[in-house]
Amino acid sequence: MKMSTRVIYATLAAGAVAVLLYAVPAVAHHAFGAEFDPDAPIRLQGTVVRVEWVNPHSWIHIEVDNDDGTRQVWMVEGGTPNVLQRRGLRRECLPIGTELIVDGYQAKDHSLPRANGRDVTFTDGTKFFLGSSGTGAPGDGAEDRSRTGGPGRC
Amino acid sequence: MGSTVRYPRKSVGSEGGRKMIVRHSALFLVLCLGIAAEALVAPASAQAQSGQWVVRRTADGHPDLQGNWSNATLTPLQRPRGQALVLSAEEVARIEQGRESVVIERAGASDPDREAPPAGGTNPICIDGAMTCYNDVFIDPGTRVAIVNGEPRSSLVTMPANGRVPPLTAEARQRREESQEFNGQFGLYDHPEVRPVAERCFVSFGSNAGPPMLPNGWYNNNYTIVQTAGHVLIMAEMVHDARIIRIGDGPRLPSHMRPWLGDSWGHWEGDVLVVETTNLHPLQSYTSKSMKVIERFSRVAEDALLYEFTIDDPTTYTEPWGGQVPMNALEDELYEYACHEGNYALSNILQGARYEERVDAQDLN
Amino acid sequence: MSSAVRSPKYAVGRVVLGLLAVALVPAYAQAQSMDIPRTVSGRPDLNGIWQALGNAHWDIEPHQARAALQMVPGPVVPVPSQEVVAFGALGAVPPGMGIVEGGEIPYLPAARAIREANRENWVTLDPAIKCYLPGVPRATYMPFPFQIFQSERAFFITYEFAGADRNIYLEDPGPPQVDSWMGQSVGHWEGDTFVVEARGFTGQAWIDRSGNHASYQLRVTERYTMTSPYHIAYEATMEDPGTFSRPWTISLTLYKNVEDNARIGVFKCVEFVEELLYGQYRKIP
Repeated sequence: MKMSTRVIYATLAAGAVAVLLYAVPAVAHHAFGAEFDPDAPIRLQGTVVRVEWVNPHSWIHIEVDNDDGTRQVWMVEGGTPNVLQRRGLRRECLPIGTELIVDGYQAKDHSLPRANGRDVTFTDGTKFFLGSSGTGAPGDGAEDRSRTGGPGRC
Repeated sequence: MGSTVRYPRKSVGSEGGRKMIVRHSALFLVLCLGIAAEALVAPASAQAQSGQWVVRRTADGHPDLQGNWSNATLTPLQRPRGQALVLSAEEVARIEQGRESVVIERAGASDPDREAPPAGGTNPICIDGAMTCYNDVFIDPGTRVAIVNGEPRSSLVTMPANGRVPPLTAEARQRREESQEFNGQFGLYDHPEVRPVAERCFVSFGSNAGPPMLPNGWYNNNYTIVQTAGHVLIMAEMVHDARIIRIGDGPRLPSHMRPWLGDSWGHWEGDVLVVETTNLHPLQSYTSKSMKVIERFSRVAEDALLYEFTIDDPTTYTEPWGGQVPMNALEDELYEYACHEGNYALSNILQGARYEERVDAQDLN
Repeated sequence: MSSAVRSPKYAVGRVVLGLLAVALVPAYAQAQSMDIPRTVSGRPDLNGIWQALGNAHWDIEPHQARAALQMVPGPVVPVPSQEVVAFGALGAVPPGMGIVEGGEIPYLPAARAIREANRENWVTLDPAIKCYLPGVPRATYMPFPFQIFQSERAFFITYEFAGADRNIYLEDPGPPQVDSWMGQSVGHWEGDTFVVEARGFTGQAWIDRSGNHASYQLRVTERYTMTSPYHIAYEATMEDPGTFSRPWTISLTLYKNVEDNARIGVFKCVEFVEELLYGQYRKIP
């Protein structure tokens, strides 16, 4: 675990290249804490009603049942779909009605039903695009771009 | 490749143009077209008898740099202190297998009955400073260290010898202080103008589109290169930034014009494309008014380019610096990165700060 | 010709040469009438900076001038809405013959109603105002130049407006995986015409400033034909069964920028719309 942390920070060093001379906050990627509230963890389970495969982050809209019996649609932030497209993402992946479990942190603006998708899985715990074969990294030998691990998984 | 019928090429913007009158008889015309056709159907990268790789060339004789390329790498920009330029096999294995084990670990299924993550955000394998994580499914920094001339490298920077960006000059430190003082008037989330340019969807993280073109450590480190006699076009996937490099040498933009991605002229030195860029944008990484970036592109293998860069600006750095970055063939497409069109993030960030201020104001009342 | 050759002694020779010239004229004429520049492989060479003239970007249908793109009822006649009235004559729509063959876009009734709603709310609805990518074919005739980079192995267009880019694939990679603003384009040659098929659009781009629109089902077939070294005859056929009752075609001329200093400038308008999009979220001092 410690070694992988070191690797991660070494990788981050490659990312944190912005030696900006003008002191706009010198972060290579917008800091998580700018958008989401680390003191507002959340767990959501619901069905997909809409997917926005957009940049810079994709957004999965899931409808959840509240404790009081009402229903609410939450927007869950994912990453760039471009990476997934290179792993075989297609429009019909993650069809409407797919049930997902999301854990993450709510957006800083608590009036918005939005959260980051820290861990987005199907109901059996598997992650889409990393389900059954390969590590999901490009060039890992999983050549088949149409590989599926089950309906809607892709 | 045989002889090729060459049509005089008009440079962009030339007045008139020369008529393409073929001053040959019809028979010779047919002969020439036949030779040209044969040249086209012949294998593009002709193999010498010995089987040694020979670079594919365009019709005007230059190495063909075209294709989709990735500069994703696990090698950082700057060398960790005390390390040599060349990594040992053990060090390479540690870095690459370390990354692979992270990916495999995170690819595993999660517990479907898991609870929400802890408040305050504690996740030992999280990758951002706030420790609250992005879904690693989308992170794709690369799987290999950078290999240059057969050497696995500990840093992309090779000059100066310690592999680290040299110190700023006193003048540059002064400029930085003035800028920090100006920005210090504002809170981090007060206005869009004080957020990072990548968050505003102007350009990619760090210096992805450059120049210099560097991997961003996150994802989509991909480029498309198109090459004609008069131009080389390099499009960085993020944020669909197309650098137009004119081949030749001509007037530069006036010094007050500093477009994103700068003003580039390129020329061939033998088989190396040399590009000189000035007029760099003030908010681009590494820039100043007098900065010049020199880049060198070589095709070193069927599936690799070598990209070298030098940053020359005595008003900013105490010495010139630069590096070498392999660009590996990407056997895949680049996809549209319409950042601004889907940028919920920036409005979420600003709205979030305004929400917290309202809450704080209510608490104080 | 020298005076020696013009003497009668060489009359027969001149006649023979003349007849030969006439006999070879078809080959010569063909070579000379192909005065468009060509690539090594004999294709028309479309490299260069191109731009449309005219007013199609305001309204692609034939139209007379009108006071503004967004009008509201006035005391006597409709008047420009509050958001645009300050622009005066520079906010007025100039007249145009349009680029729609047949003159009228064959909207389905529901789609025509959407067009009318777009016109009533131009300021808030036109995606180009927000510097969103212009889509196809609007990018072609916006009042900004674009540059074609054509090699033996690639065909790439970069547009000055918003830095929009299109890599026209020369080999079909299959159906587009997800939708995009500029679509997925595949090109091939039919004689001297470069034919591009574009699809996989998000349906969010407009076709001009006058609210003309299409859905994600849009398929555009473009045809680029050089008619001289400085002109491209451009056509685009629009098919969208969710929006139009039949396919329809636009046609216009693209003109080459020939100035010595002609170049694509940087118009990253994302920066210019921050006040518009995010001004409401600024910290109030």
